[in-house]
Amino acid sequence: MTLTHIKATGLVRRFGEIEAVAGIDLEVAAGEVFGFLGPNGAGKSTTVRMLTTLLRPTEGTAQVAGHDVVQDADDVRRSIGVALQDAAIDPLMTGRELLALQAVLHGIGRHRSAERSQQLLHTVGLTKAADRRVGTYSGGMRRRLDLALALVHEPIVLFLDEPTTGLDPNSRVALWEEVRKLNRDFGTTVFLTTQYLEEADQLAGRIAIIDDGKIVADGAPARLKAEVGEPSLRVALPPGADEAAAEAVLLPYGDRVADGKGYVTIRLAGGASKVGMVSRALDDAGIEIEGLELHVPTLDDVFQKATGRRLEGAEEAPAEMEEVG
Amino acid sequence: MKAPALPANSLRVAWAMAERSIKLIPRVPSTFFPSLIMPIFLVVSFGGQFAGLALLPGFPTDQILNWFIPMATLQGAAFAGITTGLGVARDLENGFFDRFLLSPARRGALVAGPLIGGVLRGFLPLILLTFVTIFSAATVSGGLLGWITYYVAALGMALAAGAWAFGLAIRFKTMQVAPLMQTGLFLAVFLSTAQMPLELIGGWLHDVARFNPMTNVLALAREGFLGEVTWADTWPGLVSLAGMAAFLIVFAARGMRKIIP
Repeated sequence: MTLTHIKATGLVRRFGEIEAVAGIDLEVAAGEVFGFLGPNGAGKSTTVRMLTTLLRPTEGTAQVAGHDVVQDADDVRRSIGVALQDAAIDPLMTGRELLALQAVLHGIGRHRSAERSQQLLHTVGLTKAADRRVGTYSGGMRRRLDLALALVHEPIVLFLDEPTTGLDPNSRVALWEEVRKLNRDFGTTVFLTTQYLEEADQLAGRIAIIDDGKIVADGAPARLKAEVGEPSLRVALPPGADEAAAEAVLLPYGDRVADGKGYVTIRLAGGASKVGMVSRALDDAGIEIEGLELHVPTLDDVFQKATGRRLEGAEEAPAEMEEVG
Repeated sequence: MKAPALPANSLRVAWAMAERSIKLIPRVPSTFFPSLIMPIFLVVSFGGQFAGLALLPGFPTDQILNWFIPMATLQGAAFAGITTGLGVARDLENGFFDRFLLSPARRGALVAGPLIGGVLRGFLPLILLTFVTIFSAATVSGGLLGWITYYVAALGMALAAGAWAFGLAIRFKTMQVAPLMQTGLFLAVFLSTAQMPLELIGGWLHDVARFNPMTNVLALAREGFLGEVTWADTWPGLVSLAGMAAFLIVFAARGMRKIIP
């Protein structure tokens, strides 16, 4: 039987007339990396604040690590590590001071605290900067310190609220690696909110997409993308080329999709692996082309299918449109 | 990985928060500066402008500094308490306070920490004004007991003002609440016997000052400066101070309970 680390049932949060979270149900198994994806204002952070005891739900119930977030809030707090949005870290304190304070807050003794701080500073690569004020840290360093702070008391569930927002690509990839390592080496359950499609795709074994306070899609990224449909292949033809001849070569590989003049686009029935065969068939038929673009369904397509619109920030993740010709 | 079963130690948590509040003084001196400058300014300004008051019949001392130094000290200590509340407002505004709320530490410890920090900060203007007293024309004729009542009143004031500021900070969650913190303090101090003895205040101001607990707290701080310390003059000040502090601590604690389960 799989152990559930996070369970929410009919969770609602209203702020006056506004319903920020409109009755969500979700379950996250122990050891899972769960991605909670949605645009700004969708209800991601409000959900995290309820699950981490910072906000009382208006309706519904939630358990984290087996404890009710309202009735057993202290037990929940003992079991979780949280890195909130914007890395709320006092810029006037040093990294080491913050780790020591965090250890005291979680009842860790002085000796163990010093040992643990040193170990975490090493893990997140901040040993040299440990005695510098956080105000002098870069965005990436702050995020890594925030992650270290969330781990001081060795939590069994880790909440990361938009951990890489505003980070440069290198820092983002480095943080992803830390999260993967935590999950792989220690089995830490990770609840990750993000508005970056690539982040959810890279890290999460399962995702839920939230929009307007409601979960609109839920499942493994690959399955959700597969539900959107087959990848499409767009063939760009040079000016004056015989479009009908190109279409005749391409149609055996999939149905044509409406496109602009100078292009023939088909839905690749056999999946992305057929690109090589298509390319060879065009070559064998002597059809000159300007380029081939393969479009694999993305989580943005999943979001669009569920909500009818594109996800904000989708363009920030590298497009899964690949130039292959 | 396993979460530790030990609950955080409340005293350690409160002390760690207070220690942080002290450590931050040299790192943001601008926020603490008013609590040192203001009392000196009050002593110089009021002591000079109102020097003639000491000549009035019924004025309890012939040395105006004996009247204004304790008042200025209470103001400085109160400002020190308020800067701790401002620190809490800053932490709430930038999200750092969530770190405290997310810990299993007792909520009471999270209130006590900044308040202890406020009292410790209150020592700084108090020590400064102690030197002013020693090296000026002021005299503490009440001796050791006079110094004790002066210190108790000032530190109690830092505690009460800190609780007032904390209570506001936790409700408004923004630094913009600072003027409200100061307005409350000014109203409490200046609608009392801060400048004139009760007998010399007329009209509705007399009635307000008579029932304002600050009047008794000021009397407690001034006791040793104006003569011998007696229990009859001391207990109303202690009761007023304790009542004020208790009421405002409840105000702060209730604010904390409102924001989090």
